[in-house]
Amino acid sequence: MRFFPFVLILLGAAALAHAQGNYEIQVYGADTVAPRSTMVELHSNFTADGQRRTIGGIAPTFHAEHETLEITQGINDWSELGFYVFTSEQSGQGVQWVGDHIRPRVRVPEKWRWPVGVSLSTEVGYQRALFSPDTWTWEIRPIVDKQTGRWYFAVNPALERTWHGPDIDKGIDFAPAVKISYDFTRKVTGGLEYYADYGSITSIASLHNQQQQFFPAIDINVSPDWEINFGVGVGPTAATDHWIVKGIIGRRFNWGGRNKNP
Amino acid sequence: MRTGRRDFLRGASLTAAAILASGAGWTQNSQAAPASPDYSIEIAETDWELAPGKKIRTAAYNGQIPGKLLRLVEGRPVSIEIVNHLDRAEIVHWHGQWIPPDVDGSMEEGSPMISPGGHTRIAFTPRPSGLHWYHTHAMGHRELKYGLFTGQSGMMYVEPRANPGAYDDEQFLVLHDWEPYYSASDDGSLMVQYVSGSINGRLLGHNDPIRVREGQRVLFHILNASATDPHWVAFAGHKFQVIALDGRPVATPATVETLRLGPAERISAVVTMNAPGVWVLGEPRARFRQAGMGTVIEYAGQSGKPQNPQPASLAWDYRAFADAVPAVRKPDLTIPLVFTSRFQGHGAVDRWMINGKSFPDGAPILLHEGLRHRLIFDNRSLDDHPIHLHRHAFELVSIRGAALSGVMKDVVVVETGTRVEADLVASNPGDTLFHCHQQDHMDSGFMALFRYA
Repeated sequence: MRFFPFVLILLGAAALAHAQGNYEIQVYGADTVAPRSTMVELHSNFTADGQRRTIGGIAPTFHAEHETLEITQGINDWSELGFYVFTSEQSGQGVQWVGDHIRPRVRVPEKWRWPVGVSLSTEVGYQRALFSPDTWTWEIRPIVDKQTGRWYFAVNPALERTWHGPDIDKGIDFAPAVKISYDFTRKVTGGLEYYADYGSITSIASLHNQQQQFFPAIDINVSPDWEINFGVGVGPTAATDHWIVKGIIGRRFNWGGRNKNP
Repeated sequence: MRTGRRDFLRGASLTAAAILASGAGWTQNSQAAPASPDYSIEIAETDWELAPGKKIRTAAYNGQIPGKLLRLVEGRPVSIEIVNHLDRAEIVHWHGQWIPPDVDGSMEEGSPMISPGGHTRIAFTPRPSGLHWYHTHAMGHRELKYGLFTGQSGMMYVEPRANPGAYDDEQFLVLHDWEPYYSASDDGSLMVQYVSGSINGRLLGHNDPIRVREGQRVLFHILNASATDPHWVAFAGHKFQVIALDGRPVATPATVETLRLGPAERISAVVTMNAPGVWVLGEPRARFRQAGMGTVIEYAGQSGKPQNPQPASLAWDYRAFADAVPAVRKPDLTIPLVFTSRFQGHGAVDRWMINGKSFPDGAPILLHEGLRHRLIFDNRSLDDHPIHLHRHAFELVSIRGAALSGVMKDVVVVETGTRVEADLVASNPGDTLFHCHQQDHMDSGFMALFRYA
């Protein structure tokens, strides 16, 4: 998940609020973590150029360093459970705990032999009002992906809902994410990731107030047990942080399941 | 698939006729075709029931999976008619037989394909004796619907002229994987996985139990007919005395707890039935066991749920069956064969190469009749490979630098990052195909042609 505090957009165009919380910037693939395995990931996102002022009590993002710990446990060959700890660090504020989310996910098992990968993720969590006025949020994220030859495509048409906070009556937001990438070598994959929040599905925000981000990114595939992703994001709209540098490093731990049966 | 030793090849009495030619109408004829064949193989699509309510549609021989057991006699000519009812060309390879290239069943060697709706009759003189098999040599293609992904395989047992017969019963077991699909692999390219696996065409619990008596010595002939996967076989509470590999007697009939068979490998092993009960013989690994690759062994007078504990470890080493003291023989020629792959994307299978060339780009590798060639299999890729040489057998002489002798094979699993050396005495002139027996690898260039100089 990535929880842009999208709700701020909906506070109204007059506010032009673009306080963001880029904690996990990732387009999901359909794979789930294997049973008897745990994936530990650290998402490090630095906002090089973002919101500089406190707006509506929300902390600025300019030069904020967000560190998110994600732990995902594989349950069986078609489900997993993820857990997040979000933190933010900024000059003068030190390291702040932002909130926690939990994210169960199910997928269409590979053995069903569908032509594309399909999974469905849902995420519920809390974040402190200092970082997002909506403190309880929920997201449902369908995931479809396809790897063919050197090309990879993934689309996450996520829907988000506020459970507690000023936007509780705003309905459901549409926040899609898309990735397209190309395998240059066995170990290096490069591509483009796109993240957006169009606002409410019943009242799409103006382009000015939409969040739009483009991340040229690379994935380094050194081992099946490691996940490494790096990207630099550009936000061209007023409601988007303009420059973000992101990195993901993940390590998979197998608890006797995979290697036991060669 | 149970056969008694009394069940002899059906057409044994026809062998005199086997050398009489009818000629006309047959597309393939290494030896003269007889008036009527000893065996007939009809290739057609069939709906095969792996288990009640679980049917697959696949091509098979004579509508059965595996194809019927062919019992031949070493040195006694046989004729076989093959009818192709499919809408695509097919070909049948006589794996492990030292027969001419025009009937071996490899178009790369010069055997003709059998056209859709066409037929052919072949005749050859079986040799060597032992456990061999026959199977399609067509490509599997990316759809994973053809080639060895189908049910086109069967066992062939060539009776030796003299058989010590130190066993009471024989069982023939064919392992096969079904319902293939692509999945990501640890090496970053696609690999083939399967939904289900069978022994003798049925999932565990859905074939008749093999019934045995305490004290019996049962000779198991086991073939891994999987298109791509190696398999382990365990029989809890019992041990296997391996007497032959790929149909060739081993120097040391060692006793082991588990068997490993790469695709196309065969093992003949005697089990003394000394643990009364109801057991499962089959794949010990959970994934394959759940997929159905097992069969029940039931002692007389025993009943209950089959026991199937996992072995403590999975161990296999060809050297266990070698001469106690390796014989040292000097080769006349050395042929390095380096296996590598070229990445094609995480959503593709690799392109495979021998000495830097994918088939058919490389020049034929020359053999000299009568000379001892040392083949050096140098696997620099990230996968294990079951390497097969048609129309010949080779003797393993070194694995990971450790010398051995007395193990003759026509398929050897060369593990990733290792080197295996094998001696080939060139004694069967004619083009000879050399390839990885993993269907997706051979389809992607992992082949070379050996040609006699």
